[in-house]
Amino acid sequence: MSKFLIPVSIMLAASVGLLFPGIIGRLRNKALEYWSKLLELVDGNIFKDLTNQQRKFGRIKESYQPVNIRALNCRIQWTKLEEENSIYDALSIEICGSIHAPNDNCDTTLQISIMDVTDGAANAKVVQSRLPQWSSQNGPDPSAFSFNARLGKLPNRVTTLSDWTSITQIRFDWLMFPRKGKRQLQFTTSIMSAEDNQQLARAQCEFTCENPFFGYTDLLENGERTNILAVALAFAVSAADNELYDCEIELIKNWARDNVLESSASDTDERKLDKALEKTIAFFRAGNNIDTYKICDEIVTIAPVAQRYDILELCLYVAQSKGSVTTEEITLLKNMAEWLGVDSEKFRIMMEKVLPVDMHQVKNVEIILGITSDMSKERVRKHLNKEYSKWNSRVTNADPDIQNQADQMLKLIAEARSQYTIQALTS
Amino acid sequence: MTNIVGIDLGTTFSALSILNAIGKPEIIPNADGERLTPSAIFFDEENSDIVRVGIEAINSRHLNVERSVRWIKRHMGDANYKRKIDSKEWTPVELSALILKKLKQDCSIEHGDIRDAVISVPAHFDEVRRKATMEAGKQAGLNVIGIVNEPVAAALYYATTRKVSGKVLVYDLGGGTFDVTIMEVNGHDMKIVCSQGDHALGGIDFDQKILEILEQKYKEKFKADLISSDEDRAKFEDEAEDIKKTLSRRNVAKKMLYGPAGNMKVEITREMFEKAISSLMERTDILVEVALGEAGIEPAGIDKVLLVGGSTRIPLVQQRLEKMFGKPPETAVNVDECVALGAALHAGLTMLREKPDAVSAGISSSLMDINLTDVCNHSYGTICAPVDKETGRRVIQNRIILNKNTPLPCETSQTFYTLKKGQAEVEVTITQGEGTDAEFVNKIATYKFELPPDRPAECPINVTYSYDVNQRMHCKFEDVESGRVLEVDLSLDQDGNMTETNKKEKKRQFASVAKAKVE
Repeated sequence: MSKFLIPVSIMLAASVGLLFPGIIGRLRNKALEYWSKLLELVDGNIFKDLTNQQRKFGRIKESYQPVNIRALNCRIQWTKLEEENSIYDALSIEICGSIHAPNDNCDTTLQISIMDVTDGAANAKVVQSRLPQWSSQNGPDPSAFSFNARLGKLPNRVTTLSDWTSITQIRFDWLMFPRKGKRQLQFTTSIMSAEDNQQLARAQCEFTCENPFFGYTDLLENGERTNILAVALAFAVSAADNELYDCEIELIKNWARDNVLESSASDTDERKLDKALEKTIAFFRAGNNIDTYKICDEIVTIAPVAQRYDILELCLYVAQSKGSVTTEEITLLKNMAEWLGVDSEKFRIMMEKVLPVDMHQVKNVEIILGITSDMSKERVRKHLNKEYSKWNSRVTNADPDIQNQADQMLKLIAEARSQYTIQALTS
Repeated sequence: MTNIVGIDLGTTFSALSILNAIGKPEIIPNADGERLTPSAIFFDEENSDIVRVGIEAINSRHLNVERSVRWIKRHMGDANYKRKIDSKEWTPVELSALILKKLKQDCSIEHGDIRDAVISVPAHFDEVRRKATMEAGKQAGLNVIGIVNEPVAAALYYATTRKVSGKVLVYDLGGGTFDVTIMEVNGHDMKIVCSQGDHALGGIDFDQKILEILEQKYKEKFKADLISSDEDRAKFEDEAEDIKKTLSRRNVAKKMLYGPAGNMKVEITREMFEKAISSLMERTDILVEVALGEAGIEPAGIDKVLLVGGSTRIPLVQQRLEKMFGKPPETAVNVDECVALGAALHAGLTMLREKPDAVSAGISSSLMDINLTDVCNHSYGTICAPVDKETGRRVIQNRIILNKNTPLPCETSQTFYTLKKGQAEVEVTITQGEGTDAEFVNKIATYKFELPPDRPAECPINVTYSYDVNQRMHCKFEDVESGRVLEVDLSLDQDGNMTETNKKEKKRQFASVAKAKVE
C-alpha cells in the first residue's frame, strides 16, 4: 500500500494510526510491551530486583542460562565507563568457561556482534554502530555494530576461566537499535586466532534493555511521516491568505516529489502522489483549515531539530514564491516557528533572508524587528540600536539587493524607535 | 623638502591644506580665492575635455544638468555607477580624480608641485571605498601616502590647537555623510575608541526634505508639479539649500517660487524644517547611542563633543547634542575646514614615520610629540563551516578574526580545521564586515590554499591576520602539520590580482583624467 495515498480528511485530522500501515504494526508491539510490563508488576520479586538497578536506560531483565565450563559462555552486565572526565553507561561483556587454542601462547582477538531479536530470531535485525570505527567493514550491512579488539595471548592450549571475567566494555551510546523501547539483544562473542582468524570459541547470550531513543527504523518512519506533515503545513501557509497561488502549489509539489517519493519510485507512485496532492489542494481551495498547532506538536515529538528548520524554511519559501507576503502568512509562520520549537531570533534571521522587508504587504514592525510585548521601553531601544548597527554595516554591501534591504530596514528601525521613544515619553 | 598636504574630499565641498614651515596646517584657497571648492564638475558643452570644477560647475549646471556631476562621493566604490558624457563613461574614481586634480593644480600655483598627500574619508568607508579614494588620488597625480578618517583628522586638529582632554565625541555631519567617533585624548596623545557612521546622511538629505515641502506647497496651490525638468530640479535644489542655511540663522525663510504653473511666495519655518528632518536626526541619535554602547560609555561620561561638518550649523543638531550630553558642543573652530587641516597634520605624521628625511625640521619638531593610536575600522574574518550545535549540521558562516575597533597595530590568530579526509585544498576567503552571516559580509579576496594529499580530516590550519598603522593588512594561512603557508598582503595601494582587462581599464582611466583640462 502506498504510503502517500492519504485520505485527506484523516491526514488533516492528524490521526496517526490510520495514516500508515506500518504504524499499525507498531501499535501491536506496543500492546506486547504493555503486557510484559504487566507481568513484571505481578512478579514482584523480579520487579523489586530490577528497580534497584533501574536508571535512565531502564535495565529490565537479563536472561540467565546455566554455565557450561567446558565451552565458552558469555553474559552481559551493566557497568559505568569513565572516559575523558565523563562517565557513561556501558555494557560489560563477561566470559567464563574454556577456550581451546591450537597451541600454547596463541595470540587471539575478540569479536562481538549484536542482533536485535525483540521480534523473534526469524526477524532479527542488526544493532548498528554510531561510531564508524565499530562498524562492520566486511559484512552484508556495513553499519552493523562489530567490535574487534586484540584479546592477548592464551598461555595454554586449553584456557579455562572458572569465574566470570569482564573482557571489554561497550558504551551504550555507541549502539543504535532498530526501535525505541524495550529491546531483546543477542550477543555473539567469538574468540579468534589472530594468526589465521580461525574461530577458537564462541558464545551467545541474550540481554534485555530499555532504549530511550528513537531507533533507526523509527527515524526512517518518523522522517517519512514528518515529510507528509511538512506538506500539510506548507499548504496551510499557502492557504493562510485564502488563496492558493499556482507558484506556491508548484513549489510544494516539487518539494513533495523530492522528499516524499523514494528515489526508486515508479511512475505509478508518482501518479499516486500527484493525486493525493490534488485532493489536498482541493481541500484547501474549498476553504477548509487544519489544526497546524497539532501538526507542529507531532512534528516536535518525532522530528529532529534540523528537520524542523527544513520545514520552516519550506514554508517561508512558499510564502515568498508569489513575491509578497501577507499579514496572515507572517502570523502563521511566526506561530509555527514557536510551535516547532525554533528559536525566535533564528526564525527572524531566516525570515530576513527569505522574506525581505519590501515583500511584506503590511510591515509588522514587531515581528520584523523582534520586539516582544515583555520588553521594557529601554530594552526595546537597546534592541533597536543593535538592529540598526547590524543593518548599517550591510548598507555598503556589494550586492544591490542587500543594500536596498539594508536601507529599508534602517528606515523601519528609525521609525520604530521614534515611535517607542514617543510612547516612552507619553506613557 | 616635499610639500605635505591633506585633502578633505567632501560630498559637497572639498578643501586642501598644507603644512607650513613650522608644521601648522593652512587652508590653501583655490584659483577663485575660495577656501572651499564645491565638489561639482561640469563638462564644457563644446569640448568635453574641458572640465570646470568648483563654483563655475555649480553655476553652469542649471544650463545643462546632463553635463554636470555632483555628490559623486555617494557613489564612490560603486562598480556599477557610470556617468555618460558625450561618448565617454566616467567612473566615480575618475570624477573624484578631476576634483582632486583641480585642488592640486590650484595649490601648485603658489606652492609648487604637490605630490605627497593624505586624503580623508568617512570613518565608516569600507575597504573598497578607501581603495577607490586612493586610486582617485593617484589618477590626479598625487602620491597618496595615507587615508585618514574624517573625524580623526578633525580631532587631530582640535587637539593640537586647543586644550582637549578626556573622552571626546566627534560628531561629523557633512554634506553627504555622517560619522561619530569616540576618542580618548590626553594632551597630544589620542586614542581612537570606536566609530560609527551613515554613508548617506548629510546636508543634501536635509535639502531634499525642504524640496519636498516646496513641492507639496506648490502642488497644494496649483495642483501641478513644481519640477518638470532636470534643470528645474537643479535650480530648486539650490534654493532648498539656501532655505536650509537661512533657517540656521533665522526662524523663518521666505522664497518666491517660480514654477511652470505659476509663481508663489512660500514661507518655511524652522519648526517645519525640524519636523521634516526629525527622522534623519533620529538616525544620527541612534548611531551616537550605538557608538556609546560600543565604547561602553554613558553620555555623561563624555567630556567634550566636537562638531565637524557644515550641517552641524543647524541649531537642532546642537540642541539635541546638548540635551543628550548635558553640555553644549564645541563650536570654536571652522567646522568646514578642520578635516582638511587635520588631514595635513596626519600627512605630516605619516611622512615622519615613513620618510623622515623628507620632512623639514620645523614640521618635525612641531609634530614629534603627537601620538595617535588608530583602530581597525572594520572587522575582518574568513568563511568557515562549523557544526551548528542545535541542528548538528554544517553551516557556512563568517568568523571574525580581527575585530573592529582593535587598536593598531594588531595581530590575532585562530585555528580552523579541514573538513574531509583527503582534502587537498582549502578555499580561503578574506571578509570584511560584521556578524556571522556569510551572505551579508563583503568578500574582499579569495585564494586556493593547496594542502598535502591523503590526510585525515580535521587537520589544523592557523589563520593570522595583522593590520599595521599604514592600513596594510597581512593574512597568513598555515597548515600546522606540513608547515605550508599562504601569505597575502592587502593594502589600499595594491591592485591585487588584476586581470588584463582591468589593467587596461585602469590605464585608460589614468589617460582620461590626464587628458582632461581642469579649470
